[in-house]
Amino acid sequence: MHLSQVIHGKVTKVHLCESCAQKGGASDPSIFQLAEALAAPHSEPKVVCPKCGFTDQDFRKKGRLGCASCWEVFGDSLQLLLAKVQFQPVHVGRTPPGFLPLERWRQRLEAARLEMSKAVAKEDYEVAARLRDEITELEARLK
Amino acid sequence: MSIDEILTSEVSEEHQPIVLSTRIRLARNLDGQPFPGWAKAPQRKEVADLCVDALHQLQRLRKGHVLRMGDLPDLERAVLVERHLVSKELAAGKSGAAVISRDQTVSVMINEEDHLRVQVLRPGWHLRGTWNLAEQLDDAIGAYLKIAFHERLGYLTACPTNVGTGLRASAMVHLPGLCMAGHMEKVTRALSQDGLAVRGWLGEGTEAAGNIFQISNQQTLGLSEEAILHHLSTWIKNLVEQEWNARRKLALDEGEKFIDRLARSLGVLRSARLLTSAEAMNLLSHLRLACDLGCLPEVLRAQVDRLMIEGQPAHIQAKAGEALDSNGRDARRAKALREALRDFPEITEPTV
Repeated sequence: MHLSQVIHGKVTKVHLCESCAQKGGASDPSIFQLAEALAAPHSEPKVVCPKCGFTDQDFRKKGRLGCASCWEVFGDSLQLLLAKVQFQPVHVGRTPPGFLPLERWRQRLEAARLEMSKAVAKEDYEVAARLRDEITELEARLK
Repeated sequence: MSIDEILTSEVSEEHQPIVLSTRIRLARNLDGQPFPGWAKAPQRKEVADLCVDALHQLQRLRKGHVLRMGDLPDLERAVLVERHLVSKELAAGKSGAAVISRDQTVSVMINEEDHLRVQVLRPGWHLRGTWNLAEQLDDAIGAYLKIAFHERLGYLTACPTNVGTGLRASAMVHLPGLCMAGHMEKVTRALSQDGLAVRGWLGEGTEAAGNIFQISNQQTLGLSEEAILHHLSTWIKNLVEQEWNARRKLALDEGEKFIDRLARSLGVLRSARLLTSAEAMNLLSHLRLACDLGCLPEVLRAQVDRLMIEGQPAHIQAKAGEALDSNGRDARRAKALREALRDFPEITEPTV
């Protein structure tokens, strides 16, 4: 959906998918404020996703994100939109199989570090190597 | 899957009054891959291959049909849309694919707006069973593919309106009573104020031909799947009750005028030489209503449902074996309906 708003001769255009427009209230001026918050017209992209190269201007144009990492990169601006179209900003439903909350990952990281130092002390390098790989993965996940 | 197989398959084995079908859709994406709308062609191809391989591991889809949109002619894609097996968006792109179970209950769309759109579609109103199957499929898919998930935001999707549960639960409902009574605008307003969307027969952006509407949840984040299903279920029960009330009131208040309206629809369908798909849908809607009220034998409802599907533009052309202009389609449609309804009994007084 393509919306245009004219205030004091200044034209602002917003491009949203149909459901966002419907839920955000296409006639609601805050949709335009959101668009301005995401990217001022004619300006250079302010935020770029380092993972996929998607910019705030791309979001303004498409109304959709580039990749899962964009959710972190554009997080603050998206909160505004989520508050408008969603019930609450926090997920309360299902999780993928094997998913553990962050706190559990942190606990596991600490435990793995401890286990590794013990393994090194015992010169059990096979176990230590396995734990090192796990620690690397956990650190990356928690980053 | 050949198009003939779809055309000859039964529309459904169950034909309830009012609720035509129940649908659950889950939006899922692969971790570390750009979303389809932003990905380059080779990345989309890689995702499609990964997803097809994983889906083939699932018991339910092991013998399923793999349909790559780029390989299908326009007409076949349009038939899939009319059967609600794929969305218009998926059919419009070349890099989309769908894996469809043999019984056509499960259709997983690949590279639509999200990498995966897991759909379970069942005739009649069976929210619990439909959800249970979707949940099983979701778990099974999660065992083969790493799904993008965020602790606070839930399942990550391309559009902010799907994030969280990624769940869209919907019912396809036939509401001629509420439409005739002029209540539909009020109902739509009440539903949308309470977080439910009302759409037409073929989903987003389509018209409500044949008094058929798709009712679904709007919000996906901050509500559990249970809460979403419960909310929809409460409203559908309420709507079904309101629809029956509207029908009874119309039959009672209008009497002969009401029966005349249904009988005229049968008359037009039996003798028209040209019928657009919207007009045919609206007339068939009256016949479906007549079956529900006992003005026609109830067993004929299944036949009316089949005629509604087979009267869609792509179905008409697929059956004719050639592309037809709108005039050609309208003539074919009218002819098929004349023949199908030639031996239909006359409309009688309602028994319900």
